[in-house]
Amino acid sequence: MTAKRLRTKLFPYLPEGLVTLALGLWGTLILHYWRSGKLGLLIHPNYYGLTLAAGYFLLMLTVLQILKLWRRRLPMRAQHLSLLSPPVMSSIMLVAALIGLLVTPRPFTSQTAIQRGLQDTTLVTRARPQAFRTTSNPEKRTLLEWIRTLDVYPEPDAYAGQKVNVDGFVVYPEDLPDNYFTLTRFVISCCAADAYPVGLPVKLEGNRKTYAVDSWQAIQGEMMTETLNGQRQLVIQAKALKPIPEPDNPYYY
Amino acid sequence: MPQFGSGLTLFLSLMVEAMPFLIFGVLVSGILLLFIDEQRLIAKFPKNPLLGALSGSLFGFLFPVCECGNVPVARRLLIQGASAPVAIGFLLAAPTINPVVIWATWSAFPDQPEIVVLRVVFSFAIATIVGWVFSWQADLKPFLQPNIAALMPPSPGSSTAESPEPTGLLKSGTYFLDQPGNPVALEAANLDAVLAIASPQRKSLWDKLPLLLENTIQELREMGGVLVLGSLLATIIQVSVPRNIILAIGQGPVTSVFAMVILGGVISICSTVDAFFALSFASTFTSGALLAFLVFGPMFDLKSMGLLLMVFKPRAVFYIFAIVFQLTLVFTLIINLWIS
Repeated sequence: MTAKRLRTKLFPYLPEGLVTLALGLWGTLILHYWRSGKLGLLIHPNYYGLTLAAGYFLLMLTVLQILKLWRRRLPMRAQHLSLLSPPVMSSIMLVAALIGLLVTPRPFTSQTAIQRGLQDTTLVTRARPQAFRTTSNPEKRTLLEWIRTLDVYPEPDAYAGQKVNVDGFVVYPEDLPDNYFTLTRFVISCCAADAYPVGLPVKLEGNRKTYAVDSWQAIQGEMMTETLNGQRQLVIQAKALKPIPEPDNPYYY
Repeated sequence: MPQFGSGLTLFLSLMVEAMPFLIFGVLVSGILLLFIDEQRLIAKFPKNPLLGALSGSLFGFLFPVCECGNVPVARRLLIQGASAPVAIGFLLAAPTINPVVIWATWSAFPDQPEIVVLRVVFSFAIATIVGWVFSWQADLKPFLQPNIAALMPPSPGSSTAESPEPTGLLKSGTYFLDQPGNPVALEAANLDAVLAIASPQRKSLWDKLPLLLENTIQELREMGGVLVLGSLLATIIQVSVPRNIILAIGQGPVTSVFAMVILGGVISICSTVDAFFALSFASTFTSGALLAFLVFGPMFDLKSMGLLLMVFKPRAVFYIFAIVFQLTLVFTLIINLWIS
């Protein structure tokens, strides 16, 4: 068979091959994230099951489609209404899946925390905490539990002198003096798209440059009230800082 | 480079979270299109215009189609003799008032149940009002493209009860089918011949499964591609537009609504997953603006406009657009200015 004849023979299968490959790669990508533990970076654990099922379903669809093409059955011509031509759509999905497979997603950094409004205290819209559960022992509160406690009773003096034991990553806010950084965590309720930062200012003995931006720190200290930018607020007076590795799952829920 | 890193995480999280809902929507609508007999259902619709519009708006619960699937179904409803309020109520409400979309919206906004409830209430109200308005046009034919009008049973509006016998070939599921390997235009002249072969009602379950596979793959390709483009656009806006500009627009009660209505009209993202798109704006935009996006987008966007023009004349498409647009603005501005 000449190359030309082969090409004319195979050409009708090209659009079908493309979409099969694209769906197969998306299934692979989802399972890959699951196995490498990266799924937690992207979505809330509540949706792991659903997303995994989608991954397996896509692979099953791919196998069925390959079986169909193997038997040289071209699909019925569809009277489908589409925006762009089917091969273009398949290629778009294909490229997106390839990028996902080749580039490992990274957790959000301090730059995103600032972009997402770590410093804004006066937003009209703000994700509101739903459940209010907190331990009575201040030392056991996580950063998020501190923020939720503050939401309920915002008077900083009420917490003065309480012991603090929290971890998070370092953000340098532009509006704080250089012996402060903000210890930050992201909270998600559905997926990384809704991640919003929570954080508390940490007062250091020396310059914050000792603690690199985005480095993870476990902090022990005491709560105190400070006036920063003309606003009285709760601040952690750091007694001990210990660098810790970035957790596998950096979010609070 | 940090922008690229967080942009990629954002983009992939939107895709991975939305994918199961997209698959679910495609599967359920595919199964129902292949297995439900619409004609029997149409005969049961109330003849009163307002009740017709109401029940047409709720019909989406049986046909959970997003805005790519609702136009073909609405077209079939019209051809089979459904009244204008029923067909238009369905057309506008089905992409939102259906279990898959409500579930997806709920998943995206677990902390803001009011978004879910108001999305449903507003969409339902707008679809019913527009359907009712169109009932004043006793004969819908001047509003329709000639080839559709020619297929409608005589004296529409009153013919819902008489089951239209002459076109007994028009069964469900036919719009995406044709003769194998041989595309045939769906025209009045050859409609019967085309559909006689493709009508899945006459096929056994075993024959329908390959059709379901075919339908699923095509829809996933179409909507998956749009999902990629939509997620990409959301990501680019999130990471590249300076925060103070986004806040200036997003926190204004009026500007935010206009911005999101325009976004909803342009990006044409499938309604099954548009809640996740809106989610990425949730921290910076007002609730009214998010609602405007979630209500207007599924009813009218660039893609559905193209589809609507295959059924309606431009004049009618413009009427639908104008009424839906204004009602969306009214409802969501009330939320922003007086309630929240």
